[in-house]
Amino acid sequence: MKTTMKRIALLAVAVFAIVANAVPAMAKVKVVATISDLGSLVQIVGGDDVEVTVLCPGEMDPHFLPAKPSLARKLGQADMLIYNGLELEVGWLPLLIRKARNPSIKPGTKGDVDCSAAVTELLEVPGANVDRSEGDVHPMGNPHYTLDPRRAVLVAHYLAERLGRIDAAHAAEYEERAEAFAQDVAARSVVWKAQTATTAERPVIIYHRTWAYLVDFLQLDVVGEIEHRPGISPSPRHVQELIERARQMDQLLVVSATWDHHHVSTEVAQRAGGVAVVLPAQAGAGGGTGNYLDLIDTICRELAAAGKTGE
Amino acid sequence: MNIHQRLLGAAVLLVLGLPGWAAAQGGASSTATGISRLMNPSISLNTLLLGQTSRDIKTHDANQINLQEMEIQFSSIVDPFWTADLIVAMHPEHAHEGEEAGTHYAVDVEKAIVEYRGMPRGFGLRVGKDFLNFGKQIPLHTHNFAFVKAPVGISAFVGDHGLTETGVDLAWNVPLPWWAELNVYATSATAVIFDGTSRDLAYGGRLSNLWDTSANSTLEFGLSALTGPGAVHEMDGPSGRWNMYGADLTWKWISGTTTGGPALYLTNEILLPDPEHKEGDPLGFYSHLQYRFGRQWWLGLGASVARDAEPEHDHDVAEVHGLRTIRQVKANVTLAPSEFSAIRLGMHYDEEEDGDFQDLGAYLQVNFTIGSHPAHAY
Repeated sequence: MKTTMKRIALLAVAVFAIVANAVPAMAKVKVVATISDLGSLVQIVGGDDVEVTVLCPGEMDPHFLPAKPSLARKLGQADMLIYNGLELEVGWLPLLIRKARNPSIKPGTKGDVDCSAAVTELLEVPGANVDRSEGDVHPMGNPHYTLDPRRAVLVAHYLAERLGRIDAAHAAEYEERAEAFAQDVAARSVVWKAQTATTAERPVIIYHRTWAYLVDFLQLDVVGEIEHRPGISPSPRHVQELIERARQMDQLLVVSATWDHHHVSTEVAQRAGGVAVVLPAQAGAGGGTGNYLDLIDTICRELAAAGKTGE
Repeated sequence: MNIHQRLLGAAVLLVLGLPGWAAAQGGASSTATGISRLMNPSISLNTLLLGQTSRDIKTHDANQINLQEMEIQFSSIVDPFWTADLIVAMHPEHAHEGEEAGTHYAVDVEKAIVEYRGMPRGFGLRVGKDFLNFGKQIPLHTHNFAFVKAPVGISAFVGDHGLTETGVDLAWNVPLPWWAELNVYATSATAVIFDGTSRDLAYGGRLSNLWDTSANSTLEFGLSALTGPGAVHEMDGPSGRWNMYGADLTWKWISGTTTGGPALYLTNEILLPDPEHKEGDPLGFYSHLQYRFGRQWWLGLGASVARDAEPEHDHDVAEVHGLRTIRQVKANVTLAPSEFSAIRLGMHYDEEEDGDFQDLGAYLQVNFTIGSHPAHAY
């Protein structure tokens, strides 16, 4: 009996040793990103050392992602959750985190990564007297910072640091990739700004404040907003006033995101004698925007083309 | 003054003076009270105002403008181990004979739970008072109903306000290729369906499954079961164990490409009360269709039936005796100018099979929320 037990024990040890040796030192880090821009950035920084899942597809407005439990299932398997923060995902992410029941991504853990922590100089941070009469205002500032490549570089470095905490063996590689991304952005920024130089001279009306950071990066001249209170449908009166004002402007551009209500922006552009431009606002929103750099390339190319119309 | 009195006096002065001193130092997280506001819970208040009228029911309850319900909610992380949610609801009490309706308000603790943060992956533990996790309709708070009132197929058996009990709920995300969640719970048995004086507990469970049928649509199928000590009726005495089973099927489609674009929800639920000493063949059913046809506009259509229901859970027709079967159809249109307010106009028609009771009613509901209100479940 004892001999049998010993044999079983030896066999178990041998099997364990074989299995243990077969497992690589560190399997890929399973990362779940809330939005596709962050998914693309973490893929750039993480390379083959990460396995990335994105919750909100590029073509969907990240304010209003339905909190499907099937998304919580994806979160339940994650080693790391990276999210935009500044309450962009407040309508659905807390529900999913709770439903996922994954201790690895609980607030305050190594797997909980709020990318807004990396971003300096947030825009549109309201004063102390903010209230909802101004619409669905984000009390900590405009959350759409990923559309500024300079701020995306900050996020990339932050992601490298946070990945390194979970996977120390590849920390140096993460930082190298983030630095390479920063250099790539620096080189492309010259092109992007040159491309859109003409556009920057034209008055621009935006649909939603999605574009605040892109406007800051490209120094566009925003003269109005269709959705004058964020998250609230524009009233016919506001649209009419905006059209009346826009008629006084030459070479107007009306910029909206793929998920906005294009019939309104088209109407404003047509009645004011301007040009409507529909832009992808996240990586993966179609039209060759598979990754972050492609997204900014596409936005700048389309803005440049729009900037030349009617010249 | 002896040394002890001096020490006590000094201690009192120190305690009274420290907060003021701390505030004077301008600590970023301190208020004038010396207590950080950063640790305050998220607080919100939801209010439902209801105007209703009925062609057939002449009571003041069914023809009035009143506060339908007001909910105050607090949510917070307690410490490294627990998160907490508390909901206190106020609503008018049903008028007793000789009383004027809408003059007295009841206060209910609908939710007072803590959830343990340290459970291993896939498990959840909640302790406290909450709606029983049975089916789709019963766990809903009133402001999250698809219509102004619960469908008759549910309310005829469990009342208008769901079932709240105090106990323990263990959840497990079942590792299957689709989303599957199993809940089992043991609670007090004080709700209207139970014998509130019994020492026995109620036990229940729910298995919920959800599949992504496309990028923008899901199908959810749930099974629920509940057992507890049955209510004691004045006329008939103890009713033995109260058992109840349920199944629900929900299909949702939400446009993924336009903010506030079209959406379609179809919810179906069947309730099978199975008390130990049951009369008739009780069954509840409803089907709800909700369609968003504009960024701010929803249309709702519903049908429901309560078969062989006991009348005492429906206060509007308390004088009716014996089992009855009621059919209900209803429709509403909702304008929701933001996520924080909505106006709902609707009507319903209830009719008793083989009976005289019928009720054609209309209502107008105003719903608003202030504060930091957590998002609703999918």
